[in-house]
Amino acid sequence: MVGRILVWDIPTRVFHGLLVACFGLAWLSAESERLRDIHVLSSYLLLALIGFRLVWGLIGSRYARFAEFVRGPSAVSAYLRGLMQGHPPTYTGHNPAGALAIVALLGLGVASGITGWLAFNEMGGEVVAELHETVANAMLALVFLHILAVVISSRLHGENLVKAMLTGYKSGASGMGIRRAHGGVALVLVTGLAAFGWAMIQGKLPALWDPLSASVVGKSHEEG
Amino acid sequence: MKFLLMLLWALSTPILANTGVAVQIQARLAAEARAADATFQGFSVQRGEAFYRDRHGDWSCATCHTDHPAKGGRHAVTQKAILPLAPSANPERFTDPKKVEKWFKRNCNDVLNRPCTAREKGDFIAYILTVRP
Repeated sequence: MVGRILVWDIPTRVFHGLLVACFGLAWLSAESERLRDIHVLSSYLLLALIGFRLVWGLIGSRYARFAEFVRGPSAVSAYLRGLMQGHPPTYTGHNPAGALAIVALLGLGVASGITGWLAFNEMGGEVVAELHETVANAMLALVFLHILAVVISSRLHGENLVKAMLTGYKSGASGMGIRRAHGGVALVLVTGLAAFGWAMIQGKLPALWDPLSASVVGKSHEEG
Repeated sequence: MKFLLMLLWALSTPILANTGVAVQIQARLAAEARAADATFQGFSVQRGEAFYRDRHGDWSCATCHTDHPAKGGRHAVTQKAILPLAPSANPERFTDPKKVEKWFKRNCNDVLNRPCTAREKGDFIAYILTVRP
């Protein structure tokens, strides 16, 4: 029996929405010194989100787990070939191309966080600063590719995948759905992030703003 | 004799080793300034200093880089320390044209809410090169 089944649990959807928000904020504040605190804050939150997602990918509900959706290159190319021919194979959870985008976006998010942290603390000089920009640009490009692929897949599958990521529901065989939405976990995630962000804004975590000056005198900020 | 004295002065001034790139940047900016304004007469240290100190909105260059750019500054938002801007105090400044352009772009948008003109940038460099520790 095919019907409406819950596929994406609440933590996965909340993660997705907040990741979009944090990446967007970090991107828009990237070129500004006035907004530097927003850039740093949203980037730390982005890293915290990815940290959560990596854990949730191991212990989360069925379709949130990496083991369920990360597949080898042959599955990805089979899916993409199907996509080109207009008949991509149907997956209840993430399709193999979407899975690839997820893994790559998580990796690029971590890489942009690390290179940004190094650049913010003047480690690695211009090379790292430029690497940070390159990684962030690659991430933005992949975001657009991901959106494009989602739109195309939605059309070909006859199912609004954007809506599915918002509501959690897709159409599928009735036994294939997840039983619990894990709202409590999402609440813990949001509360934790809010507390973390609030503490940073209140200056209670000075080591995150200026890790080196706490111990080393003569910290510097590089400019042309 | 005069030449020798000048050479001696030059060698004793730490900035000279690094002014080469800054002068090249100025040459490019001068060409740009001339293209924008045929009456352009060259860069001015005085104009550069005024530009550096004047508030353009709520910030000036000095807001972060201090009234004396040979001294270390402090970021107005993050409070992080900033190395001295004047090459006389920090020989790495103005030695990488790409980096100079990148930071003019960012900081002009922050302070003036618009890109700086070639003349403003050239005046700024003319001033910053005269700052002594």
